[in-house]
Amino acid sequence: METSYETIIIGGGVVGSSIAYHLSERNKEGIVVLDKKFPLSGTSGSTQAWVWVHNKTPSWYAEFSMYSAELYPYLSKKIGDVEYKRTGGLSPFFSELDREKAERLAEAYEPIGIKIKVLSREEALEKEPSLNPDIVGATYSSIDGNVNPFRLVDRYMRAAKKNGVQYSTYNKVTEIQKLPGKFIVRAEKGRFECKNLVLAGGTWSRELGKLVEVTIPINQLRGQILVTEPLKPFLNYTISGLRQAFNGEVLIGYSMEEEGFNRATTLDVIQETANMAIHYVPSLRKAKVVRAFSGIRAMPEDGFPILGKIPGVENLYVAAMHSGVTLSPLVGTLMTELILDGETSIPIDRYSISRFA
Amino acid sequence: MNAVETDVLIIGAGPAGLAAAFETASRGLQVTLVDESKSMGGQLVQQTQVLSSLPSIYQPMCGFELAAHLSRQLEDFEIRYLLGHRVIGFYKDGSVGITDEKNVFPLRAKKTIVATGASENAIAFPKWTLPGVMTIGAAQTLMNRNFVQPGKNAVIVGSSDFAMDVALQLSKVGVRIRGIVEKNTGVKANGTEKVEQVRKIGIPILLNSSIKEARGIGAVSEVDIQQGEDIWTEKVDLVCVDGGRSPILDIFYQLGCSFGHQEELGGWVPQYNNDFQTDCENVFLAGNAAGISTQGALLVTGMLAGINVCAALGAISKEAVEEGKQSLWKELESIETRSNLKVWQARNQHIEKFAHPVLKDQFIS
Repeated sequence: METSYETIIIGGGVVGSSIAYHLSERNKEGIVVLDKKFPLSGTSGSTQAWVWVHNKTPSWYAEFSMYSAELYPYLSKKIGDVEYKRTGGLSPFFSELDREKAERLAEAYEPIGIKIKVLSREEALEKEPSLNPDIVGATYSSIDGNVNPFRLVDRYMRAAKKNGVQYSTYNKVTEIQKLPGKFIVRAEKGRFECKNLVLAGGTWSRELGKLVEVTIPINQLRGQILVTEPLKPFLNYTISGLRQAFNGEVLIGYSMEEEGFNRATTLDVIQETANMAIHYVPSLRKAKVVRAFSGIRAMPEDGFPILGKIPGVENLYVAAMHSGVTLSPLVGTLMTELILDGETSIPIDRYSISRFA
Repeated sequence: MNAVETDVLIIGAGPAGLAAAFETASRGLQVTLVDESKSMGGQLVQQTQVLSSLPSIYQPMCGFELAAHLSRQLEDFEIRYLLGHRVIGFYKDGSVGITDEKNVFPLRAKKTIVATGASENAIAFPKWTLPGVMTIGAAQTLMNRNFVQPGKNAVIVGSSDFAMDVALQLSKVGVRIRGIVEKNTGVKANGTEKVEQVRKIGIPILLNSSIKEARGIGAVSEVDIQQGEDIWTEKVDLVCVDGGRSPILDIFYQLGCSFGHQEELGGWVPQYNNDFQTDCENVFLAGNAAGISTQGALLVTGMLAGINVCAALGAISKEAVEEGKQSLWKELESIETRSNLKVWQARNQHIEKFAHPVLKDQFIS
């Protein structure tokens, strides 16, 4: 394997693989992705994989998410079917107080072109008859949906490889050295050199940052997800906390726990999650839960993506965020522009790591 | 919900679990026994063949007789039986979640013995998912437990001792066995007598052969068997696949135990020490979950786990523990070196690696 590259991307999850793919569309040579395990063995493979815009706040973050969601149909045309479904998203609420909040949200979104409807109880039940009749209403956004994360990352990888990207897996990076004009990256399986270095380590970003003496303030959040037996299609929308997959299984998850990298599941959360699901969709009471799994999510300290150049270190970039599935098409596109053109078509200054300084 | 308390929780009421229950309950410990089946004895219940290599204190007997014996010897003790119940997970505080398929309740045990046994491995070939294709153990269960003849014309894939036993039993209930298909150059079974018996009743044993494809609409109706260059078709309505067995590990995953790989023990096996204790201090294991072995060995591992749990809870004197352990290990050695030396060697290798597990958790990190 050649060891000198134009660009090394550390992390082959949905974010790293999207950057690799988008970069390879324009720059066919000299890209390698290093992954400590294998793409989809971490966060990207243990997610409900919503493409979700609605109720992201503040509105500029929702706008950013919307641009990414809008890229999905185009992305599917380029890399192949990723089972992207723009189902529309429903967030039911159970009190009048929440209705006021919802209306304020809808108002805030209007100027940026995200249409959120605040539905009455009857309207919501008409759209999704399985919802709990005790709801007071729901917010609805037509741009929300979901995707098959396994297909998504796999398609990114295949498309990237077709364009000449190399993947080096089970190859944990242990040391990064900055020399004039280049980086030397030492990993378990060898030594690599590159001009550009992109840190896309997701939940491991903080550890990666330490190798270049940069604090990347990403923490871990555990989410436990339940999977039901395959049920006949009965959910029309992506509902807050749950969605029905192509094969009929309903995926349910609400929990967020600070447990580091511990991927265990606990019955406490499993039971809570099941109860929440029944609260939203009472008929799920009869469904059998066949599986539960945990995913460790990346969570930046302030909740927003950390994206762009790392100030003070030439040609060093970072892309670390929660909601990597939603944002991956846009992040891949923008990081490519940043690396090749030095500027982006949509401003990303707001997401610079320098905000934490 | 307040957790139910118990000294010892035994998960699995097969031979190992029942043996462990006897060791612990007979020394005055409060024992809870969980099994998803409504009956005790696990897979013993449908074993109508005579079990060889039982521990020296036992007369030769059939599996179902042994199951009855093991259950009967518990009658004098107050054991909390949770039959028809399943362990489905663990709470954050370490208590175990048990369901009766309707409700879930927590149970807190001082020590847990996991004796979840083994599951059969399938052998895949084109159309192997057609009804009529089943594991060899499933065919035996249908026949001996449910009294259903699983088919009329059968092919068996695999030639272990167990496959020979079931071949004989199937023949006895009128299933015509068209052949035993073995991909290797020799028969896998160690019991030469049984192989002779199988040959004698006219069942062809086909070495160097495999199933190329199954066919059928809605159910299997024929298979193509390949032996070297020859391919021919057999009309069958039953294909029994014997892909060996592997320990059932779900509970160990949930508990965060480490694993090592030992091909001869069935693949991935929880890491354990001389005391049949895993690297989770309060978790012991026994039976096929600790490595696939013969019925006699399973009993001994159950007894060992039971004695060691008694020691950990102070229910037995130090001398008695040492004496018991020594004689049981001797017994285990004698049974396993006689029935399958490779298993004995693999078990020892596995125990030696206790401090250096290959897998610290299920996520290969």
